[in-house]
Amino acid sequence: MKLWKQLAAATALTVIAGGAMAEGLYAPNMAYRTGPFAALGIPLMNGQADYMTMLNERDGGVGGVKVDFEECETGYSTEKGVECYEKTKGNAIVTQPWSTGITLQVLPKTNVDEIPILAPGYGFSPMSEGGTFQWAYNPPASYWDGAYMILSHIAGGDMASLKGKKIAFLHLDHPFGKEPLPLLEQLAAEHGFELVAIPVGLKEMQNQSAQWLQIRRERPDNVIMWGWGAMNSAAIQEAVKTKYPMEQFYGVWWAGHDPDLAAVGDKGKGYKSISWSMPQPDSALMADIKKYVIDTGKTQTTEDQLNSVFYQRGLVMSMMLAEAIKVAQEHTGSAEIGPKDLRWGLENLNITDEKLAELGMAGMVPAFSTACNNHTGHSGAWILEWDGAKFNQASDLLQADQSVIEPLAKAKAAEYADANAPWPVTTCGG
Amino acid sequence: MDFLNSILVKPFADMFEAPDFLMQVLWEGLVSGILYALIALGFVLIFRSSRIFNFAQGIMVVFAALTLVGFHQMGVPAWISVVLSLGVMFVLAVSIERIVLRPLVGQPDIILFMATIGITLFLIGFGELIFGGENKMMITEELGIPTGEFIFEPFGGFLLLEQKDVTAVAVAAILVVALLMFLNKTRMGRAIRALGDDHQAALSVGISLQTIWVLVWFIAGIIALVTGIAWGARAGVSFALEVIAYKALPVLMLGGLESITGAIIGGLMIGLLEKLFEIYWGQPLLGGNTETWFAFVLALFVLLFRPQGLFGERIIERV
Repeated sequence: MKLWKQLAAATALTVIAGGAMAEGLYAPNMAYRTGPFAALGIPLMNGQADYMTMLNERDGGVGGVKVDFEECETGYSTEKGVECYEKTKGNAIVTQPWSTGITLQVLPKTNVDEIPILAPGYGFSPMSEGGTFQWAYNPPASYWDGAYMILSHIAGGDMASLKGKKIAFLHLDHPFGKEPLPLLEQLAAEHGFELVAIPVGLKEMQNQSAQWLQIRRERPDNVIMWGWGAMNSAAIQEAVKTKYPMEQFYGVWWAGHDPDLAAVGDKGKGYKSISWSMPQPDSALMADIKKYVIDTGKTQTTEDQLNSVFYQRGLVMSMMLAEAIKVAQEHTGSAEIGPKDLRWGLENLNITDEKLAELGMAGMVPAFSTACNNHTGHSGAWILEWDGAKFNQASDLLQADQSVIEPLAKAKAAEYADANAPWPVTTCGG
Repeated sequence: MDFLNSILVKPFADMFEAPDFLMQVLWEGLVSGILYALIALGFVLIFRSSRIFNFAQGIMVVFAALTLVGFHQMGVPAWISVVLSLGVMFVLAVSIERIVLRPLVGQPDIILFMATIGITLFLIGFGELIFGGENKMMITEELGIPTGEFIFEPFGGFLLLEQKDVTAVAVAAILVVALLMFLNKTRMGRAIRALGDDHQAALSVGISLQTIWVLVWFIAGIIALVTGIAWGARAGVSFALEVIAYKALPVLMLGGLESITGAIIGGLMIGLLEKLFEIYWGQPLLGGNTETWFAFVLALFVLLFRPQGLFGERIIERV
């Protein structure tokens, strides 16, 4: 009898908890605060969560409805990510998969479940093709944008000058790490530079001596790193050890984490990372974050994280989601929106410089807008350079040449749709 | 013909052409090998005394290194942090014996193995709760470990040895010698070996199973701390270090689960061979990243001919 009472109580609690979860705008985030990639995940997730907490505290949420921002821990494991997706999709207005591997796995499911994927700056680059990937969004820039902009910076804006150069592509042997390869191979063939792809296995992330011996033997003009988590800090330490010229060493936006460079300090001077976000310590947003979140203790963020590249990038990511919610609310005329409405919001984002100033985020991300045939926004990005103590802006806003990227994205999107037939494809504007 | 040339001739020609580079490859292989051997030693010690395959050895490396860095971040001087970390590893050894192993005495080996998986999961969760998931810097300089480098110019080329790697190799060598002396020359060491040879016989002459288990888990903890310091000094301390520990599995397959000599020689062999294969065959012919599988293939190959490993004891069972 006692057992039945306990079961009944547990059931009642579950119902209450379920009801509570359904209140507000349920926005799950597939976090990775644990495991080998946690060093990157923690500041990013903190930034994302803090922005939503700030909105809930300051404005009562978005459009007067609180955002229920819940994390589901994946440890960056694709299997756990899919479990998280299944567990959270019931009431979710969005899914934030947080890994290219998880994104690729849930991509077909979101078509059926009609939940938009928001994958800021990650995922599958052809997701920009909204006609094929109707439920997937990766603003403000794709990995192909990033790879193109890094090459463009190496080339000083003239891609023809890459002819005869040797460029090493040090990458995690994982869907994320391989993502820019189709574009890089195409550009190498077009512009006559030699591309040396150097994979780093997940088990070898912290033991990269073989990869750096290869770099020593190949003597590339530049190294481009597509690394994540513990791979980045180990690569930077190996680069220092092998005395590779740091000013010739570039990383993707996930390889520009302040603590990874702080570990080598002055020896890391000149290392560059492409970035579509820029910390703005004196912004009005940061004042509000401090007032409503940090000072009230409603955060897991430590003071030393606040002005880091990754924490503030996390803030930018949640801003994109919050703005998409606002757009959807305005469009439907209702504060309570569902995933289909949010999809409309994500497809009609218009983040202008004026909007950023209004949000207290001037300069934190380049202006961009999305559309049906442009789920990425292609905002462009800056090069950040490590000065021995912190990252500084080292370039004007760079742009990827969409006349090169778009045809490849269309071709790969069509290839994906064929391989996964029957895959629903629509014509934007048609 | 070209294919045969690329496998049989070119790699050796490359070695001959750039002997300084070959020396660098061998050095890097040696350092990796020593560190693999250290991790494998932890496995072997526990297996010898209890027939338990300790799946938790990898996470013990992470936990020990994080504890050390954690104490230092609290303001404790570096060497006192080492002593306190050893204290924590001792408490861990006692707790494991009392809470996990003692109630499972007499259970099949697979149950004890599963229990060590449980210990692994606990240490991951507990470690993340206490220390967080961020990468931490090893307190290399604070421990007095030199961080400079030795540069040589053999054959007119360039060879760089990091002083911290040289220190790691030296400390590992001292640790191994000390361990061998302890096992062979001391009463406790002989008791550990006796327990490994025959539990019942060892118990019948008054050797305490509980004491020995605490002792071997503590020694495995000491090895874990040394390994954590050495790996951490190279690439930082994070939970990714645990993954490296799985490289000790092929070392054990190669060297044999019971043999300390096997762990050392197996570790060195795998460290050197996987590096040579990766640089001279893997990268030019297979696109690289062969280190993720080479050691396992090598170990499987050895098992085909010597199922007990190169130095393991041959098991003869009469039906």
